[in-house]
Amino acid sequence: MRILRIVFSLLLLAFVSSATAQVKLTMWSHWAAEKIKRDFVEDSIKRFEAANPGVKIEAQWYEKTALYAALKTSLRAGTAPDIFYAEPDQTEYMDNGLLLDLSSLNWPAIEPWAKEIWSYKGKPYGLPLEASTVEIYYNKKLMADLGINVPASMQLDSAAVLDLSKKSRSKSMTPMALGVGDRPFPGAYLVQEALLKKLGTADYDNLLKGKLSWSDPRVMDTLRLIRSWTDAGLLPTTFTTLKLGEAHTYFHTNPGAVMFVNGSWYTSRAFNPPDKGGQPANFPLGIMKFPAIPGAACNECRTLSVGGSYVANAATKHPKEALAFLNSLATPDTANRWLENVLVQTGIKADYAKVGGPYAGYFRELQATSQGSKYYFGLPFQVMQGKPKEVFTQVFNNAFPAGSISVDEAVKQMNAAYGK
Amino acid sequence: MEAAPGRRPLPLISSVQRQPWGAIIAFLLPAFTIYTAFTAYPVVRTLWNSFHTVLPKNEEFVGLDNYAALAQDEIFRRAVGNTFIWACASPLAEISIALLLALALFAKIPGMRFFRVAWFTPVLMSYVVVGIIWVWIYNYDWGAANAILRALGLERWVQAWIGNPKIALPSLILVTTWMWTGFNMVVLLAALHSLPSEVIEAAELDNCGWGAKLWHIIIPLVKPTLLNLLVLSFIGKMKIFDLVWITTKGGPLWSTETASTYTYKRAFEWTTFDLGYPSTIAAVWFVIVLAAVLALTWLFRQRDRLEY
Repeated sequence: MRILRIVFSLLLLAFVSSATAQVKLTMWSHWAAEKIKRDFVEDSIKRFEAANPGVKIEAQWYEKTALYAALKTSLRAGTAPDIFYAEPDQTEYMDNGLLLDLSSLNWPAIEPWAKEIWSYKGKPYGLPLEASTVEIYYNKKLMADLGINVPASMQLDSAAVLDLSKKSRSKSMTPMALGVGDRPFPGAYLVQEALLKKLGTADYDNLLKGKLSWSDPRVMDTLRLIRSWTDAGLLPTTFTTLKLGEAHTYFHTNPGAVMFVNGSWYTSRAFNPPDKGGQPANFPLGIMKFPAIPGAACNECRTLSVGGSYVANAATKHPKEALAFLNSLATPDTANRWLENVLVQTGIKADYAKVGGPYAGYFRELQATSQGSKYYFGLPFQVMQGKPKEVFTQVFNNAFPAGSISVDEAVKQMNAAYGK
Repeated sequence: MEAAPGRRPLPLISSVQRQPWGAIIAFLLPAFTIYTAFTAYPVVRTLWNSFHTVLPKNEEFVGLDNYAALAQDEIFRRAVGNTFIWACASPLAEISIALLLALALFAKIPGMRFFRVAWFTPVLMSYVVVGIIWVWIYNYDWGAANAILRALGLERWVQAWIGNPKIALPSLILVTTWMWTGFNMVVLLAALHSLPSEVIEAAELDNCGWGAKLWHIIIPLVKPTLLNLLVLSFIGKMKIFDLVWITTKGGPLWSTETASTYTYKRAFEWTTFDLGYPSTIAAVWFVIVLAAVLALTWLFRQRDRLEY
């Protein structure tokens, strides 16, 4: 009888413990070095866990290249986390059926264009947390020292850029901070935004997809224009080896540059405390639109891209909980918290007027640069695949802005990459 | 049957029966298992993959398609060219300088203990550390290389050393030369110390000068060491990856792309999960390296025969 009682107690204990067992979700994310975003996601995890006591999320933080390499191996081996960071250009995940179909996500809370960017063969796969535009940040004081006024339209013309470059160099200042030492895209910002304005969204799309030749006179003219800027010393001499994080510091701290072309996620590094790589207190930060291009089809066109997003592993054992977590992020409240804390656009619908806090002024200025804009969705390296992507990266992220390759040679390389 | 005079008697038990097979297997099995799992299987699997498209949930036989695509791949050709330039130039530079340094130490120059340590130190650092140090040295604005040139009034020679496609590869070859010369020097110094002193003394008695002694006695005597170092250095440079990855990632314009960096890019950086094509690069490169090493070995043997 005593033995029976012990066995019964043990069975009861096992039943109770299994009934109250926690579901543990694993999550791998970029942004190890971007404290503001990491804090935001960690806070979101805490809120989710508080609202769902049976679920625990264990997050691991990486830098992007290390994360991507780890995911490629672990997804193949079947040991990938339940939720992970991804960007919409990673179509190989969708191609190979590695992502959970997120059709049942709370899509009414998400911007339709962001859903479109994350849709592949008719199904949506990612929660578009971070969206960004390409912005030109500038140091208001240095700009004033050069005697250059940014007009009310917030847009210089190309002649003014040339003038600014020459004036800056004559005073031993760097006109524009930019570095491509550890990223495949920032160096191409100049060329991509100029080409988008010159061609308009339709022809720009054709160009990136190989349907329009790079020998098109409009393309050649635009590349010559950019070359005239770089020949005037627009970029740092260390441009090819300067890393992205270093380019931020180069702009706002040491040695200082007049302008900095960067995604609007500039804030996630620059608004950290100065001892953690942020810009100095009271830094006179200004934002302006990308310069107008002569003979442009669409000077109001600009790139809007979805960056950091979260996806669920198709092989997760807890799809319901993974989806619940992603849904907890897809709310207007989360979007507003993201805006207020990270100060970067998001693909989740938000009320921009409600953004408060110490950087509310910055956000209003950021909004002003977008007034009247027409958008092309996606950076070139997100739109291109395979060889054109590799050649574009080598040519326009690095060699062309560095002045190591001529306009003709750059065009020849791109046409060859598309088999023309 | 009686054994023939002067010969050992035939064993009563055959040698096969006398082998302690249990002990042999016990000793060989761990090494054999490790070798099979971590060397033989990956090689065979890579060859297998090279004839397939290898995706996470799908493996499809494609015959020689990957090899045909590789034959048309201009970036691969560029990478092969860069790697061969590196693998040929670097050993010659490293070993020539190493021989001079070893001779200097052999001749007991003042401060030889310090120089021996100083010259050997770079090889103790990992490529990652060396890469970061040399990115600083090559920095256009404040790097030591350009600072020295500016101080000497040679402004015209100031360069973006690893940002200019024309000089990025030689700049990286200089780094590996700096890094590995010390190792070659130490090996050559050991070889010099083991030279038969009577041969050198005899040459000195014959009033043989330093140049003649070096050319006719020392170099021929340390030639086996020199050849081994050449082959080792050649193989090392044919596999170079870390330094390129830290400094240039193969850029600008593929000017420092090597076979290893291109293989990695195709396996992990291009937007595809396919391991078939990268395996093809690896398989072809394995054959090229093997053929080059066999050719070098054969060449050195031929020269030895000619000399003797």
